Amino acid sequence: QHAIQRCSQWRCYASASSAGLSQDKITERVMTVIKLFEKISAEKLTIESHFMKELGLDSLDHVELLMAIEDEFGFEIPDQDAEKLNKPSDIIKYLCEKMEVDYK
Amino acid sequence: MSSAGGTLIRQAVKEAKPVFSATSEDARRRVLNLYRAWFRQLPYIIREYDVPLTLPMCRRKLRENFEKYRQVNDIRVIDLLVAKGQMELVETAHMWKQKTHVMDYFKQTVTPKPTDFLGKFFDGKEP
Repeated sequence: QHAIQRCSQWRCYASASSAGLSQDKITERVMTVIKLFEKISAEKLTIESHFMKELGLDSLDHVELLMAIEDEFGFEIPDQDAEKLNKPSDIIKYLCEKMEVDYK
Repeated sequence: MSSAGGTLIRQAVKEAKPVFSATSEDARRRVLNLYRAWFRQLPYIIREYDVPLTLPMCRRKLRENFEKYRQVNDIRVIDLLVAKGQMELVETAHMWKQKTHVMDYFKQTVTPKPTDFLGKFFDGKEP
């Protein structure tokens, strides 16, 4: 039985802040998506854990994970950017920049 | 590499003409994009061909087919494999194949040779 991934896309016609997006919400959604990914053990997962070095993912797993995040947030991540996203914190920073949410 | 006729043949440094990608970085991107494209197509394949497969089975089979060529390092070979994979994807996505062709991915084509005595005996081999 595969887990049904939580899908919470909505259209943002207004700016990010009025649509209720904040860095905390983005963090929460990203961490949920990563936790649902069955190749990652939840105990070792932190915001700064490196996917390939600490969590033991290979490049195809990395691709699958980024696709799950693309599906969650509703837009495509191009290849040159995708290569650099090696930690959850990188992903959160990238998404904040793309969705124009302030990143602290 | 000298000929018998005595003409001096300079040993040319042979450089192979690239098939698609110039660098291994390029080739890596092609492979990952092919994986992405197949991955996204899988649920539609299951639905349209009405195959008795589940999504995890298909994903595992996709991963297995990519892992088969993990050790390949020659860029031209990688390009050709990606091209063949892309052709398979196009044929599958456009419904040019039939259900049996999709199920072929899950069929073992090589019957394993028997190793124990009885197996070899029934096969007719001398012990």
